[in-house]
Amino acid sequence: MRAAIRALRAAGVGVGAAGAPLELRTTVDDAAPRVEPVTPLEGDRLAVRAVPGVPAPGIRAFLDGIQRSQVLAHVGAVPLVHGAVAAAVRVRKARRMRTWGEARRREALVLPVAALDAALTATLAGAVPLVDTTAGEPAPPSGHPQDLAARALTAVQRMREAEELALVAAWVADGDGPLLVDGGISGSPEGARAESVIGVVKSHRTLYAAPSELPLVLGLREGERTTAVALHSPRRNPVASWYLRLRDPGERSPLFGLVRVEVAPTGDLTARADAVSRWVLAERAPVALPDPRWDVMVYGIRECEEYLTAILPR
Amino acid sequence: MTAPVLGRVVATERRPNTPHEFHFWTALDAPVGVGTIVRVESTRPVNGVLPCVYGVVTEGFGYTDLQTPLHDVLGADGEPGASATAPTERTEIRLYTAAVLRQVPEEPLQPVPMGTVHLATEADVQAALRMDTYVQGSDARGIPVGAYRSGGTDAAVHLDADFLLGPEAAHLAISGVSGLATKTSAVQWLLASIFTHLPARKGKVAAVCFNVKGPDLCFIDRPATRLDPADRALYDALGVPADPFARVRYFAPWHARGTHLATLRTHDALAESVTPLTWGLRETLQYAEVLLSREDIDAKADALIDFIKERVVDQRFEDKLLDGAHEVRSFADLERWFRELLQAMEAGNQEQWRTHHIATIRKVRNRLGNISTRCKGLVTDDGTVSDLPFGAFEDRAVYVVDVAQLEEDAQDLVFARIISQLREHLEKRALGVEQVVVFVDELNKYAPSDGADTYVRQMLLDIAERGRYLGLVLFGAQQFRSQVHRRVVGNSGTQLFGRMDADELATPGYQTLAPATKARLATLEKGQLMVRHPHFGQPIFVRFPRPAVLTGREGVEQFPPAEVPTLEMAVAKTLRRLDPSITVGQVQDVLALAGDDEEAILRARNVTLLKRPDNVLAFFSKQLKKRVAPEVVGGRGPAPLRVPASGDDYGG
Repeated sequence: MRAAIRALRAAGVGVGAAGAPLELRTTVDDAAPRVEPVTPLEGDRLAVRAVPGVPAPGIRAFLDGIQRSQVLAHVGAVPLVHGAVAAAVRVRKARRMRTWGEARRREALVLPVAALDAALTATLAGAVPLVDTTAGEPAPPSGHPQDLAARALTAVQRMREAEELALVAAWVADGDGPLLVDGGISGSPEGARAESVIGVVKSHRTLYAAPSELPLVLGLREGERTTAVALHSPRRNPVASWYLRLRDPGERSPLFGLVRVEVAPTGDLTARADAVSRWVLAERAPVALPDPRWDVMVYGIRECEEYLTAILPR
Repeated sequence: MTAPVLGRVVATERRPNTPHEFHFWTALDAPVGVGTIVRVESTRPVNGVLPCVYGVVTEGFGYTDLQTPLHDVLGADGEPGASATAPTERTEIRLYTAAVLRQVPEEPLQPVPMGTVHLATEADVQAALRMDTYVQGSDARGIPVGAYRSGGTDAAVHLDADFLLGPEAAHLAISGVSGLATKTSAVQWLLASIFTHLPARKGKVAAVCFNVKGPDLCFIDRPATRLDPADRALYDALGVPADPFARVRYFAPWHARGTHLATLRTHDALAESVTPLTWGLRETLQYAEVLLSREDIDAKADALIDFIKERVVDQRFEDKLLDGAHEVRSFADLERWFRELLQAMEAGNQEQWRTHHIATIRKVRNRLGNISTRCKGLVTDDGTVSDLPFGAFEDRAVYVVDVAQLEEDAQDLVFARIISQLREHLEKRALGVEQVVVFVDELNKYAPSDGADTYVRQMLLDIAERGRYLGLVLFGAQQFRSQVHRRVVGNSGTQLFGRMDADELATPGYQTLAPATKARLATLEKGQLMVRHPHFGQPIFVRFPRPAVLTGREGVEQFPPAEVPTLEMAVAKTLRRLDPSITVGQVQDVLALAGDDEEAILRARNVTLLKRPDNVLAFFSKQLKKRVAPEVVGGRGPAPLRVPASGDDYGG
């Protein structure tokens, strides 16, 4: 961030105190929660299945990424955002976590090039990496400062996803054993095809079930899963997915302790879903508290996040 | 060779580094603990110099990313065993706090920089403790006190002789709980180290050790029975021969009955090496105030005692009230003098004599007459004197004075007189050595922090504050440092701590120690000490070898004290020191002619022992036939009166 601030000052842009990260100020995904019917892969309809056997550790490594976006200055109404991202794979050996290879880190000044003076962007580009928030966007920015900030945030998010995807690809090529990825794997061509990659999704803005099947999903008890379904998306790779209840919700929200698992849709899916579910259930301990998402977060991902927080460029 | 990286310095706003303290973390299995000396290497030069900081670990912390223990309970569903089976161990940290021992360069004194932390090498330990200024070179004067051991580093830790024995600082205070043999052992070890390492140019040195309990110091001339290879290795590493003290002289008063010496070193094989310690009127009267309580002796009585000391004792005294001249040289003489004086006053119905009221005279007679009874065995009625060889002290010799069996009053008298004599002789540079270490155990008894201001305490304070200029060095041992007068403790340049009592560690004197250091002090093993020394920025933990001498307990097992002898046996035993051919039968024959005056027999024995005649039995027999006159070893003149303790006798 210091390099970006120096570059802005050198370019004659007044830099104020950095405010709160955009991640805390802007809602990225403001689409309405929705329900999306899917195609069953196990049987002919969505069903509930108790995960057989005893939860047992099988995950070898954990992948996560973090990001931070901060508005450093404004040129007119245009926010100039410093984006920093990091991603890492943490490998477990003898119950202790270590970084696999090198963590990936990247930082850039995120701005709408078209909305700024060319000389300014040229000057900044000579000093720090720039990411254009308008590149590849179908619609030009509205000029609303919040819209510009939201676009910057999306760009930083993409930076993070790019680093995560690169690591998934690297693990598929060189890694050894199952990798648990925080989030879905359908964005990764390599991950969506590899048996060694497992995605665990913690948020459920879209619930993949027919409305009539929702009580079945939301009524899962601890240690139960739904049967697997196929997820297709025009811009994503097909994966098999199922819901798994990690913790008994009791009187809490029906989404408490509920995760969705994604794997490559290959082989004996029932056996694989049961095995992967046992692995994920085994990761409930140690509990990921004090993270507020502790009910759905496995400790390996929390540990990875803590690691990334420590190394994230500032 | 640079030591591998042990840890990294860390600082946060909440826990910042200062010029005196810093924090670092290490791997979980790093060989570091409280007391470990570390070196910090910075990569950021200051004034063109890369700073190097030495520190000693004073505190350790370990924690995980767990915010509250309740989270672990939740995670394990309340089953303690479940945590252990979790596939991942929580992220855990070992965070240490270290106190700065030294910064190089010393200026500018800045907060400890970020950098790598390394285990100190032997050279680092020398530099960290500033030993490099006095252990090497032409002015080398280091006295090994023990070995620093941590993380595979073994390094000798030296004290600076100028700060242990003077003149820069002096004195040593050693504290620790009883029963672990730490205090006495440490002093014995340190004396051996001083005797070995004190450079000749620093002059001759001797030690006077008061044995105040049991057989503690009664066998320090005998080799240890068990000295394991680790101890021998320590002796080798610290350059001190693993031998008992070569020159030891033992002194003990007679038992009250007078037949044998009041010591546990009475085994036939060793008894000859103990010299009787007996004093007469002159030696005792000089320190009468030790034995007379202030409440008992008022100004009037004090004046009479002064009169007796200055005008009556050891000189011809005449008065019109008395029949003829008196020469008062013993308590018996003094009693005769009092008796005649009082009889004369009563006969003449006289209430005053030379401004002294008859009641005062009676009182002083009573109190002084009591002394020889209270200190029987040490103080003789007849004035026989057998004393330490003041003026002929030998280099590297230990003089053990066994007062363990004496009453408290008599112990006080022994301390007062011997230490005063040492001081007076050192003032005149006429002791025979330039420096004397005086070892007093149970210092809290003799220089307590509270209670009456006794003569002995004043004397110990005087030594503590001014002795270093004279070469009179106090090594004091006590269980509770907090119970020793703060001026005595405060003037001890070097302080050693063995295992400490937890209650003692809670007293204000230990507030400067970190909780972890206190915890370590409370659990120190035998043979471990924490050392404070003026050159050391912080207390250092060291290990010292078991003394190469026979312990008191083993000594009495190996050399059990002799049975209490009959009078004939006692005399025969004593005379055999001078003539081994003397038999009990011969002594019985002589005693048969002498009658049953036991005191006269013992007086004759004492005089014979002091005179060391060629024909021992004949001399002894002759002594029995006449009244034994008071004798003085060496025929010294009267000792000077004591200078008031409040004065500055040493010119600052």
